Amino acid sequence: MNISLEKKIFSEAVHTVARFAERKSATLPALSAVLIVAGDDGIKMRATNLETGIDFKLAGQCALEGVVALPATTLQQLASSLTSEGKVSIEQVGDTALVVSGTARSTLKTVPYEDFPTIPLPQDQQDHTFIISGAVLRTLLAQLASCASVSTVRPELASIFLSLEGGVLTAVATDSFRLAEKKVPLSNKGTQGTLLVPAKNAAEIAQALPDEEVIIRFNEHQCAFESASSVLVTRLTNAAYPDYRQIIPKEFVVEATVLRKDFETALKRTTVFSDSFQKVRLSFSTGKKQIAFYAHNTEVGESIETIPAHIDGGDLEISFNHRYLAAALPLTNTENLILSAAGIGRPLVIRGSGDTSLLYLVSPMNQ
Amino acid sequence: MDTSNPRELWEHILTQVELSISPANFNTWFRESFIVKIEDGIIYIGVPSQFFKDWFLKKFHSLLLKIAREISYEFRNIDYLVVKDERRKPAREQKPIRGAMELPLNEFYINKGDNLNPRYTFDTFVVGSFNNLAYAASQATISRPGITYNPLFIYGDTGRGKTHLIQAIGNQFKKQYPGRKVFYLTSEKFVVDYTDAVQAGTANRFKDKYRQYDLLIMDDVQFLSKKEKTQEELFHLFNALYDTNKQIIFSSDRPPVAIADIAERLKGRLASGMTIDIGEPDTESRIAIIKKKAAINGVMLSPEVVEYVATTISTSIRELEGLVNSIVCSAQVKGSAPDIAEVRQLLRSFTRPQKTISVKNVVDKVAEFYGIDENSIYEKTRRREVVRPRQVIMYILREDFRVSYPTIGAKLGDRDHTTVIHSCEKIKREIDVDTELAKEIRNIRSLLA
Repeated sequence: MNISLEKKIFSEAVHTVARFAERKSATLPALSAVLIVAGDDGIKMRATNLETGIDFKLAGQCALEGVVALPATTLQQLASSLTSEGKVSIEQVGDTALVVSGTARSTLKTVPYEDFPTIPLPQDQQDHTFIISGAVLRTLLAQLASCASVSTVRPELASIFLSLEGGVLTAVATDSFRLAEKKVPLSNKGTQGTLLVPAKNAAEIAQALPDEEVIIRFNEHQCAFESASSVLVTRLTNAAYPDYRQIIPKEFVVEATVLRKDFETALKRTTVFSDSFQKVRLSFSTGKKQIAFYAHNTEVGESIETIPAHIDGGDLEISFNHRYLAAALPLTNTENLILSAAGIGRPLVIRGSGDTSLLYLVSPMNQ
Repeated sequence: MDTSNPRELWEHILTQVELSISPANFNTWFRESFIVKIEDGIIYIGVPSQFFKDWFLKKFHSLLLKIAREISYEFRNIDYLVVKDERRKPAREQKPIRGAMELPLNEFYINKGDNLNPRYTFDTFVVGSFNNLAYAASQATISRPGITYNPLFIYGDTGRGKTHLIQAIGNQFKKQYPGRKVFYLTSEKFVVDYTDAVQAGTANRFKDKYRQYDLLIMDDVQFLSKKEKTQEELFHLFNALYDTNKQIIFSSDRPPVAIADIAERLKGRLASGMTIDIGEPDTESRIAIIKKKAAINGVMLSPEVVEYVATTISTSIRELEGLVNSIVCSAQVKGSAPDIAEVRQLLRSFTRPQKTISVKNVVDKVAEFYGIDENSIYEKTRRREVVRPRQVIMYILREDFRVSYPTIGAKLGDRDHTTVIHSCEKIKREIDVDTELAKEIRNIRSLLA
């Protein structure tokens, strides 16, 4: 194999692709390698850790066709050292690869590529498909991945639930202490269906998604994100997702609208004084038209701060883990937040004012 | 070696495989796989994802087949299945996040394949005198599905536990006969499914879909009234399932004969097996239900609280459950079970304000409905055209407005309370057999509402 391509294209591709290679060294060497394929349909880089996989197209000249697998970490280090403009060429010589950039000539040991697994690309016409802008999907997956459970005990909760219905993509993630639901309208209707993307995989995929439109194709076990430059695949969680809609309160005892800015700063300051349970108490006061943030830590001290709020309903005191409250903020960018409480011992709903796409549910702490 | 034991067989195959491939390859590909089942000479190997399936087919298929054949010629082929996650990983202990309450997600798993809610089982089903017949019939149905009582038709007022019972049958059936297919749906879902299928031009697929089940459970069939095409479809489906001895279970809030606007031939079929009603739960059963629900949620209630709740809410188990839930919730928030005074407070917000209505109003409406003079109701006449409306009035006053027997008697021309009891019982009996009468009473009720 002999190929030559722009340094910039090469290093960007390596950064995107190498992330998908297996990081643990104990497994098959081929899994911690990037496979470079030069053939009729151009140059491609591939990597997989058997959970996710990538097939990435690069622009470049192919002088001689062939396949070579190179260790991902070495390739990564090499790529980040390339600075100036110009070309880089890779030539296979026996069981080594010669990488030439400018005046530098490096010889890399290759990895046997026969062990490199096939990446299951979708072919079936029966699969479900939909199209969405890569930029939108990227933020959606990245935001929600952080709300999913980190424990693998319940694989469905360690996943992002995506459901397509009537031209709307609904994404849900929960770790059973809080739940985030985001809705995105689709330009084309797509087929109906649901899929569970493991949150860890979703975060990886999100980083590699291009800005342009991607076609998402999925069946029972596998999902692929296809764009002009790449195909990303991930295994899907094969489990039932809880019918989360049933835990969303329908009636509320108090509803408050606050400035996001106020909420954010008050929460940040009060958090300093929260105890080892990370507890912050919110007191809704209708009469004074305010919400009080209170935290108490026997070792640090205590703090109380009030913010003005428009409140409908009765007074209520309810405590939360502050991390779960703060996690709602990056999910919406509206200036006002609406907090709706269904009562003591019941979850609080946070929405962005005028933003119907978000629903954030957080479970209270025992009083 | 026992070739029918999947575990032993897999161990044996693995030792052979280990010798032929590199340790890295072996660890990567074989560590998380196992034999799911052996059926008709085909070994089904469970793998974690499509990656594995593709690679097994490409790289290891011939090797595995060769090893399997060496063990025994009975193995014809090997197939690979991507298995569900929960079957694979041994659960690791989760680090509990202190203090925070969990969202109650666990209760809301609904199995997509059969629509059954695993929460409804016989373990949580309270059997009392009001439903023991229905319970016994369910058990008989499970032990010989498709033969003993087919179809099984269960009816009773809302909140009596029909859905719980029929879903429990489904769940039990699934447990007892793992290979067979169960499907639960509401009649409304059936209607929607059918209309969707017709719209999409896939009516045939629709037919096939429902004919494959070994146990079909349809909830709330009374909503099929007036949906003629869907009824016809159900009629054919019924025949197809019935002829192949597949069990069918229906539920409704009224007996088959009393379901309005439903084709006669379907009505006949609904009633052709076993028809059982679930009555009003008696006090003892209500007490048992409350205790069970509270115990499931880990709350101990004092006997007087249990009794108080049981006597206050009398008809609907669903309401009873709702109240127990709110008691449990307040117990969790406060950390101790509530006493009788607090429960009374809770109950106040729970019980609906009684509908009040004047006897005169009812008499006027009913007299108008039957086209007779309302004064004749109060008179001591025994003319047939007056007697029936008078009995209907008594029945409605008693059933819907909970007026006491003596009061009804006194208000309707100073009759003895035993006369009233007799009239109410008579109508109640006839309503089950006389569809005309049932229809009249429904119409009167809608007039009064």
